[in-house]
Amino acid sequence: MTKFVVRRLVWTIPVVLLVILLTFTMMKQIGGNPFRQTERAVPASIQRNLERKFGLDKPWYVQYAQYVRNVFTFDLGPSMVLRGRSVNAIVKEQFPRSIQLGGLAMLFALVVGVPLGAVAALKQNSTADYSAMVVSNVGFAVPSFLVATLLIYFVSLKWGLLPTSGWATWRHKILPPIALGLGPMAYFARLARGSMLETLQQDYVRTARAKGLRWRRVVVVHVLRNSLIPVVTAAGPFLGFLITGSFIIETIFAIPGIGRYYVVSVQARDLSVTMGLTVILALIIVVANLIVDILYGLLDPRTREARA
Amino acid sequence: MAVREEVVAEHTAAGAPIRQSSLWRDAWRRYLRNRGAVLAAAVFVLLVLYCLIAPIASPYDPYEVDFSQAYQTPSWAHPLGSDQFGRDLLTRTALGGRISIGIGFGATIAILLIGVAYGAISGFVGGKLDDALMRFLDALYGLPYLPFAILTLAIFGTVNFWTMVVALSVASWFTAARIVRGQIITLKENDYVRAARAVGARWHRILLRHLLPNTLGVLIIAIFLELPGVILGEAFLSFIGLGINPPNASWGSMAQDGYQAYRVHPHIIVIPSVAIATLILCANFIADGLRDALDPRTRET
Repeated sequence: MTKFVVRRLVWTIPVVLLVILLTFTMMKQIGGNPFRQTERAVPASIQRNLERKFGLDKPWYVQYAQYVRNVFTFDLGPSMVLRGRSVNAIVKEQFPRSIQLGGLAMLFALVVGVPLGAVAALKQNSTADYSAMVVSNVGFAVPSFLVATLLIYFVSLKWGLLPTSGWATWRHKILPPIALGLGPMAYFARLARGSMLETLQQDYVRTARAKGLRWRRVVVVHVLRNSLIPVVTAAGPFLGFLITGSFIIETIFAIPGIGRYYVVSVQARDLSVTMGLTVILALIIVVANLIVDILYGLLDPRTREARA
Repeated sequence: MAVREEVVAEHTAAGAPIRQSSLWRDAWRRYLRNRGAVLAAAVFVLLVLYCLIAPIASPYDPYEVDFSQAYQTPSWAHPLGSDQFGRDLLTRTALGGRISIGIGFGATIAILLIGVAYGAISGFVGGKLDDALMRFLDALYGLPYLPFAILTLAIFGTVNFWTMVVALSVASWFTAARIVRGQIITLKENDYVRAARAVGARWHRILLRHLLPNTLGVLIIAIFLELPGVILGEAFLSFIGLGINPPNASWGSMAQDGYQAYRVHPHIIVIPSVAIATLILCANFIADGLRDALDPRTRET
């Protein structure tokens, strides 16, 4: 197991380098930089100085090497638009909110979705099963901006129960994770149901039952554990998606996180911020996939060799 | 199933023209048995027809501004009400649907084309190249989808139908490539491929005649599996103002219009959102039905 984890960890290094390279290449293609965009004409000498300050006058591979070094020393450079603010400072201030939002949404999705799917599978073809699947199908199809808007409209405006926006107290942190997590919740429910139904037909479940184990124990020990593997596999990419894909929810609930700031930085052509945030978002996904692979190895020993 | 029939057909050389029709007729019969999938397909077709016909048939111009008609609630004159510029929402939703569904299918096809090219090369050549390409694909899975779509749009500098199609497919073809590769590798081991090779068929003939046609079923399913993600991606981009711009409309940009006024007129954001949800719901059911019909071996319990 240790060998598997180590090999998996080493493998992330080239992945990170490649992801940085691709992001870097994309960024280089974006026309213009903030110094050329201003309406006021900036004297050519000042422009050259600014470009030198941010290293834009060097060949691309020097810039790339420099950038990789910066990423690995956790220094993402200064913002090109907001003078005196570093990308690090922006990340440090806004990132925790996005992680919290994504984490809470994930929690909501798992805590509601998995039991929903499990109950549906245990009572297959019952009313409970059908209602759970209707909830799941609809929940997966409805776009999060509608969920968010309706939650604010009813819970906050009509009934006055929770605040409409912000991220200060726990009362602010209820609606956004629900709006963000509803889609994944529906997905997990469907996944858990399908996986449970498959596991319930396995011979070892029949054996466990035949030898007189209590049904509850069979479900918890044999069925649930083995059914969770596909859920875990899907959860990794979703965690990445929840943290990186919260543009909409952060905008609607006015949560000052990196999703919202990402859009702002692209519009302002604040390339260093956009670049830093993209790399960080990519790193989150890489780490999420890493965690999933390791969890996968723990849950299903057969995969250790194959996926190392 | 599909594969087995092909095998049989290859041996009975005379049955060549019947082979295709019976394979697809079988699939068609299986599909019709799935009531949910049939209903979904019907709703899907109706929705597409509505988007195509309504802008032509409607008495309203979807672009014309008339402030005296602004924010009408649903009535006989405006069955879905009107927006902040007094434009009839029944007409404008159809217009937005044209763009949303068009971009959705455009990007889906782009995703599949890239996926087929990458997956077919990887699976067909095999060996070291396959290893390298798959490792590369693993790394690409680290790319965040929406940020890369946003970056792509920033590179183009303009937003229109084609730049949206490119932006939405840049970081979303990885799964399609993996599916095609898996399919090609499985098919490669079939006896009819070995037989073709044994009688001296060249590699491009094997690939084009024997392998790729047999991935068609998987690809048709993949269209409806990829469509929801792309449609949502377009809606998200347009909703945050980085996608389709006024006066053009997509369901995402219409939802943004509705969002601006939801405190007073909540129905405006509901209409395009329900359209998106309906489309995605249908696509999911159609994909399920197609999977049962075209690839019964992988049928879910």
